[in-house]
Amino acid sequence: MNPIAELVAAKEVIVCAGAGGVGKTTTAAALGLRAALDGKKTAVLTIDPAKRLASSLGLKELSNEPTKVSARKFSAAGLKAQGELYAMMLDTKTTFDKVVLRYAPTRDQAERIIANRFYRNISSTLSGTQEYMAMEKLYELHAEGAYDLIVIDTPPTRNALDFLDAPQRLTDFFDSRVLRWFLLPYVRAGGGLMKVANVAAVTFLRLVKRIVGSEVLDDTAEFFANLEGMYEGFKQRAREVSALLHSQVCSFVVVTSPAREPVTEATYFATRLNESGLPFGALVVNRVHPHYGDPLPVRTRQLARLEAAGGDGLLLAKLLENHEAFMRVVAREEANLDRLARRIPRHRWVRVPYLEREAVDLPGLKAIADHLFGEAPGHS
Amino acid sequence: MHIDELLAPRILIVSGKGGVGKTTVAAALALVAARHGRKVCIAEVDRKGTLPGLFGGAELGYEPRELSPGVWGLNIVPEEALAEYLRVQYHMRRLSRAFTSTSFVDYITTAAPGLKDILVLGKIWYLEQGRRTGEVHHDFDLIVVDAPAAGHMLTFLSAPLGLSDAVRVGPVRRQSEWLVQMLRDPARTRVHLVTLPEEMPVAETLETIAALQERVGVETGEVFANAVYAELFDAAELKRLDELGRNGDFEVLRKQAAAVGLELDDEDLDPLIAYARFLEERRRIQATHLQALRRNAKRPVVELPFLFSAGLALPDIETLADVIEAS
Repeated sequence: MNPIAELVAAKEVIVCAGAGGVGKTTTAAALGLRAALDGKKTAVLTIDPAKRLASSLGLKELSNEPTKVSARKFSAAGLKAQGELYAMMLDTKTTFDKVVLRYAPTRDQAERIIANRFYRNISSTLSGTQEYMAMEKLYELHAEGAYDLIVIDTPPTRNALDFLDAPQRLTDFFDSRVLRWFLLPYVRAGGGLMKVANVAAVTFLRLVKRIVGSEVLDDTAEFFANLEGMYEGFKQRAREVSALLHSQVCSFVVVTSPAREPVTEATYFATRLNESGLPFGALVVNRVHPHYGDPLPVRTRQLARLEAAGGDGLLLAKLLENHEAFMRVVAREEANLDRLARRIPRHRWVRVPYLEREAVDLPGLKAIADHLFGEAPGHS
Repeated sequence: MHIDELLAPRILIVSGKGGVGKTTVAAALALVAARHGRKVCIAEVDRKGTLPGLFGGAELGYEPRELSPGVWGLNIVPEEALAEYLRVQYHMRRLSRAFTSTSFVDYITTAAPGLKDILVLGKIWYLEQGRRTGEVHHDFDLIVVDAPAAGHMLTFLSAPLGLSDAVRVGPVRRQSEWLVQMLRDPARTRVHLVTLPEEMPVAETLETIAALQERVGVETGEVFANAVYAELFDAAELKRLDELGRNGDFEVLRKQAAAVGLELDDEDLDPLIAYARFLEERRRIQATHLQALRRNAKRPVVELPFLFSAGLALPDIETLADVIEAS
């Protein structure tokens, strides 16, 4: 069975991961579409703020709550869904607010945190927050149990590895020794620098004040003071999310193109999945150049004579040159992909060729899904 | 495009959607500048680490290193930019390690969002001003910034504008105003965008041009359309190919081959035709997107060729530099 078809049939959560610009979001949408056509109640959760997932599904916009793709949209595209398709886009801040409301001992404390400026900055700026909240949202959707399948693309991190480390990074940040070392004395002293006994910490705090101002320091101190007692809740949830990702209901689809850098990222990513004991499902190689024929033994001298002949001779010379050039591209792509074959056995690969149409609408996504499922015409 | 005009500003920022070849174009622009006698520095700000690979060298550090004659490179890491800032600004020679630890930088940049980007832009400002910040003094004629991907680049460039929300007084506030002046002055800074002749990259490029204007107050310079397939067959040749291919009769081509001592059968000739058709198909698709790009971008579009070579290395960058010089 085709590895993608296998995953869509058997799994409850599929995570699409890979470098930027390789087609993660489109792959996720195409998987979700196909699952819905085949009778599953499916949700596609995207982290990519670009509007194109929405428009390719015929929706005006997406929000943090699922929007259903109507039967009318399917029939307009000449498709009939046996199941249902929902799409949503992660809203980091809203998701984070819910987390705070859940773990704060009192409603007041939660509201103080949510109103805090440093907290607002964390939800919009701190790297790792988006990734953490993506996993949180995924967990929440899965725990609701309303969907047969949830497909999620990973955030456009510069490095695919960041995404695996993100939840850890955020909890570490809250729990950081450096922060506790210099902030806690400040918090305990009620915000007065003079009362902080630790000399090094005072130097430190003075510097921070000079760079960002004392209001900022007060905001932070207030935030960390309110956060006391909530760490355990965060950590517990991070453990639960991790357990879901490690379980057999979940699977990772690594997406790449045959270019050198995305392949390097995909290789690292496959290695990391393996090391972390996360369930790898399939590799999708997008935008592969077609492979026609084999290299021909043509001599430069022969080419020169054909060119000199003009007319059909020149035409043949150009055909030979063009073929040779594409053979080089194919060889380069294969050489890149060979490195990946050492990490991921080829029977877990699915190749999607350059398609004439980009996936800008449901039929476009369906065409990609056909390739992913190995059902496109002329598929070998 | 006149080379002098291209190289007139001291800072060239190169950005675009992920995977379109930003680093390659940044490197090609640097080569063009070096060929015209400029001392150039390419600044990586994204920790991608792909730039030194193009020049066949090891990873870049914070201290500029010569990658090829006249072309230098450095990697602007926020942690080191902060350390340098504290050293230059507050004359703090010996810094506690805690100040430059990742969690402190995370803290301070979360406390004041945008500070990380401002530290990076501040380093670019130091380089532009030819300020002495380290052991070795450099005076670069041009700084080519291999910027983050488009979405993040907008956040990056608008950081000095947004900082006022978090930091109301003090030196950082004043310094961010200098950075805004630097970015908005077309005589000092130019932003070039790289794209592919495909639907989504073109749409995103147009959005980025508008967003740069609205959010940062910066006009886009050139748009580089990367990986454009060259025109190989003229109209008459394409017509002839259709004729020959119609009945799958390649007798004419076989004879031409035989005349130069090349034995080709139908199994050899089929793929030749298939690749010619593939090339033309892609060219046709690319042409519609290039047309949309030219029509809507309202600024110069430089086409860079699809490279068939074995891998991206210095000779490929040289090829792209040739094309940029000739355009």
